[in-house]
Amino acid sequence: MMEFVLFLGLLFALGGLAVASNPSPYYGVVGLVVAAIAGGGWLVSLGVSFVSLMLVMVYLGGMLVVFVYSVSLAADPYPETWTDWGVVGYGFGMGLVVMVGLVVSGVFGLLSDVGTVNGAGLLSVRVDFSGAAVLYSEGAGFLLIGGWGLLLTLFVVLE
Amino acid sequence: MSHLHLSFYSAFILSSLGLAFHRTHLISALLCLESMMLSMYVALAMWPIQMQSPSSTIIPIIMLTFSACEAGTGLALLVASTRTHGSDYLHNFNLLRC
Repeated sequence: MMEFVLFLGLLFALGGLAVASNPSPYYGVVGLVVAAIAGGGWLVSLGVSFVSLMLVMVYLGGMLVVFVYSVSLAADPYPETWTDWGVVGYGFGMGLVVMVGLVVSGVFGLLSDVGTVNGAGLLSVRVDFSGAAVLYSEGAGFLLIGGWGLLLTLFVVLE
Repeated sequence: MSHLHLSFYSAFILSSLGLAFHRTHLISALLCLESMMLSMYVALAMWPIQMQSPSSTIIPIIMLTFSACEAGTGLALLVASTRTHGSDYLHNFNLLRC
């Protein structure tokens, strides 16, 4: 059962990838339908079935039907397909960007060293960033006095 | 981050990348906007589940209402620009180019 929920979550993200790297709006609508059904099934597995029913009826049955006949108004008669090289490049590139973002932000725990400043990932918690941020929150007086002193120095130099 | 959050987070990022790199059609940019709204709906629906507060369930429903309004407005713009320009190719929308 747990694997099914994980599979629905993966299908949701893959539907998002399909919409983003669509070769033609026809395939983008397919990705959106897959993502909406996966999201609805996921919400049912978490127990909130009314919200899932509303998603399927209003979103899929209402909005996407309107989108589908607008796509038939606006799209090409000879669309490019999933196997054209530009589309594969886009899909791969966007998936790569998401993977790099996940690794750097510490989700997979690959970039964290024990006992150093990188204790919770490379960019998640840094001692020097959070220390310097105090200058803008509780140390706002220091910021204002420093700015005032710099302004006075500017007038002194210009004289 | 639990795998639930990871899933709609990555779907939102991918859709916003697809909106930023829109290539030929205006309607594929509108479809990316719709999928951003879908991932936000699922994210907001997680709130009453994880905080155990049933009255927060109205928030995704209200968001879906306004997302439907926005989709209708976007499609009306699409139809209007298809009527004047003949198609919705983005490189034809160059009236404001200097």
